[in-house]
Amino acid sequence: MSLHKDILPPRLIKDRGSLHPINNMKDSIMNLLVSFGFDIIDGPEIETEEFNFDMLNIKKSHPARQMHDTFYIENKSNLLRTHTSPVQIRGMLEKKPPLAFISGGKVYRKDDDATHLPMFHQVEGIYVDENVNFAQLKDLIYKIIYSLFGDKVELRFRPSYFPFTEPSAEVDILSKEGKWLEILGCGLVNPIVLENCNIDSDKYSGLAFGLGIERIAMLKHGVTDIREFYKSNLDFLSQFK
Amino acid sequence: MKIAYSHLVQHIEENPNIDQLSVSLFQLGHEHEIDGDIFDMELTPNRGDCLSLNGLLRDLAVFYTVNLNQEIYTEKLDKLLIDFENLSESTCPQISFLKLEIDQVPEIYKDSLDSYFLDLGLNKNNFFTDISNYLSYETGQPTHCYDANTMSGKLLFHEIEKNEEFETLLDKKITLTGKNSVFSLNHDVINLAGIVGGKSTSCSTDTKIVIVECAFFQPEAIIGKSVKYDIQSEASHKFERGVDPECHDKVLRRFINLVGEHTNIKGMSIISYKSKDYPIHQIPVNVQKINQIIGINISENEYLNYLSKLSFDIEEGFIKVPSFRSDVKTQNDLAEEVARVIGYDNIPTLEISIPSNDRKNHKDLENKLRFFLLDHGFYEVINSPFVSLSSEEAIKVDNPLDSNREYLRTNITNSLVDNLLFNERRQKDSIKLFEISDLYSSNSGINKKRKLSIIASGRVGLNFEDFSKKINKKYLTMLFQEILPNEVFDFKILSRDLLDTKIKNEIVTLEVDIDKFSSDILSYKEVSKSPESFAQYSPISDLPSSFKDISYSIKDYSKTEALQDLLLNYQSDIIKNVYIFDYFKNEKQEEIKIGFRYIFQSKIMTLTSAEIDLVYNDIVSQSLKISGISIPGI
Repeated sequence: MSLHKDILPPRLIKDRGSLHPINNMKDSIMNLLVSFGFDIIDGPEIETEEFNFDMLNIKKSHPARQMHDTFYIENKSNLLRTHTSPVQIRGMLEKKPPLAFISGGKVYRKDDDATHLPMFHQVEGIYVDENVNFAQLKDLIYKIIYSLFGDKVELRFRPSYFPFTEPSAEVDILSKEGKWLEILGCGLVNPIVLENCNIDSDKYSGLAFGLGIERIAMLKHGVTDIREFYKSNLDFLSQFK
Repeated sequence: MKIAYSHLVQHIEENPNIDQLSVSLFQLGHEHEIDGDIFDMELTPNRGDCLSLNGLLRDLAVFYTVNLNQEIYTEKLDKLLIDFENLSESTCPQISFLKLEIDQVPEIYKDSLDSYFLDLGLNKNNFFTDISNYLSYETGQPTHCYDANTMSGKLLFHEIEKNEEFETLLDKKITLTGKNSVFSLNHDVINLAGIVGGKSTSCSTDTKIVIVECAFFQPEAIIGKSVKYDIQSEASHKFERGVDPECHDKVLRRFINLVGEHTNIKGMSIISYKSKDYPIHQIPVNVQKINQIIGINISENEYLNYLSKLSFDIEEGFIKVPSFRSDVKTQNDLAEEVARVIGYDNIPTLEISIPSNDRKNHKDLENKLRFFLLDHGFYEVINSPFVSLSSEEAIKVDNPLDSNREYLRTNITNSLVDNLLFNERRQKDSIKLFEISDLYSSNSGINKKRKLSIIASGRVGLNFEDFSKKINKKYLTMLFQEILPNEVFDFKILSRDLLDTKIKNEIVTLEVDIDKFSSDILSYKEVSKSPESFAQYSPISDLPSSFKDISYSIKDYSKTEALQDLLLNYQSDIIKNVYIFDYFKNEKQEEIKIGFRYIFQSKIMTLTSAEIDLVYNDIVSQSLKISGISIPGI
């Protein structure tokens, strides 16, 4: 039996960690949108009613403003943002058109069941310029969806309602099982919202869209229970390297 | 809201089948599911006008020839004498009452009333309430029926702001609190306006004289009440979304007609109260603007034809919005109407070009930090901000989900401790976690800080170099010195005394402002990368796991690779993980020792020793076929 003196040690397999799949999905989508020309802006998770609702044309009577839908804090002086849209308001107040930016992060709604969590993540984008129209919005949405799900995916636009966009649409993709799945909401920025941000709505128009990160992550990774994302179980997290 | 296909199609000349009608409804934005012959509609909140058979038919008229042919009573009606006063006209600017007396309560229902209950599988209540419910289904306007024999005295509509007991006609006793719009009779609340009527004045199967109330309530007065009092109310659902303020006369005359189709009416009288005229909203005709908003090019004739089919009147260059379309106010609203008619999917796309940005990622430093931690085996987690523990600076949630989630956390470390214990209970012996999050506190206003928190305990790593090293302050200090040699971080040892655990490993934590990290970290060259594809998740098991070690003595070094190939790639449903935990080269004895650890766990059952041994023995047996290696003791 011959002995090899210069034998190599065994394979040293160092366990690398992983990004959280929700943060990773959020980063992927935001990087994609940055490549389309959007800038990233941030905003606070604790917001005022003015920025979270009023400026976005969400009337005092809107059900979303009720205590059973929105978390209020410190005797209703503030709230936990229910969407990332108030960041767009802050952006529009700071910059003049043409402007194109995205924001992503945590949002909060008073839900807690197998399909809804009180905290989840959104990415939203807005583009305001002269002559922005619905046909261009469709083009952008096709580009986003094709980048995320491949250009063979079948999608459809449905009329919908958001107080801050008009016309408004929801976009579904057709799953492998033949079921339509809602992926994002979008629309042309309601001129009332532009005016609220001191933007001349006769001269400028805008498009806006928003995606729920958990929903897309569930579809892309095949996770069926949204609660798995937030158990911090290493057996779960280690699958997303 | 459930609508029967047969009820819709009987008014449509072209007689579309259920699938054709479904496609049309989707194009118009009326999402639904089909259950047999029933459309289960999920209408957007701005389209309260479509919460009825007629509402949907009005929209479908843009594609089909719709004939409503619902007869109404057209003769002159006597004036109803009623002692009523409206003390809150701003909440209820318009209200009508109809009094009807019938000969006999019918036992059998006919035509549309009959098919309403039959086709939708609904339970009947009493004749007048049944007519009221059907009418709400047909027209979208809720009405309320009082037994006239219980209605003597002064009737008031007003707003109250005091606690008051109220028993609903569904036998539910509630305490009204806060501000409520109510009808009172002789100072007793008999109707929670727009939500549910009271038991004391409700109709029964014997009622022959009825007072029908038909009102327009401002949505603001109704919203949230049905949730507050836990009352399922179709009426409130409609009032919250807005009803047609101009429909009262037609609806009550339709009520008379439906009653008359079933029994002899002995007497009828009506009265309407209107504090102000409903303003007719007018929008200038501007097809150029519509084309600009949508990005199409249609003619003015085509445009006006669409609107006309949707019941909009066009007069002298203005579009008159019908009273039931309170959602239409601007050119953008009209553009949406046109886009719906054309079909969103039929609008061609136009290439979009967004001016290029400066592509500066403002979170470069934070991302470098994340990848540095990844490279050293840390896993990123995200925790809920809601906690039960209050600190002086913690922000209190006014309406928490429960008492365990009453405050916003003021540190991340506590969340990570929970995560650590969770994983330790699942037999994890090397745990390294981090989270980056904004934290909010209240101290002369709301303060925000962005923090990184890490927690680590147990083995440094699951490989032969790190297996026997335990995580401690020194290990983490040295780790961070690698990227930031000139900065000092305050790592802490967390006592396990108050933790529900028997594990003794040291727990090291760090919580630090992201601002604390200097830009020196940007020069760190990360090894890890973002995943290029999205891994397909495999459901995890919460069943117990156990491990078994195999240690080999190798005299023929050339067989080391073959052994690793076999053992690291051995396939079994119950092997969760395998790694080399030990390696030693004995120069004197000219042998190497190498130890493998297998973690066993099933996804479907708790494993027995015999089941584990079966796989273990096969691994041993296959490995011993390799010449020049042995397992000491076997």
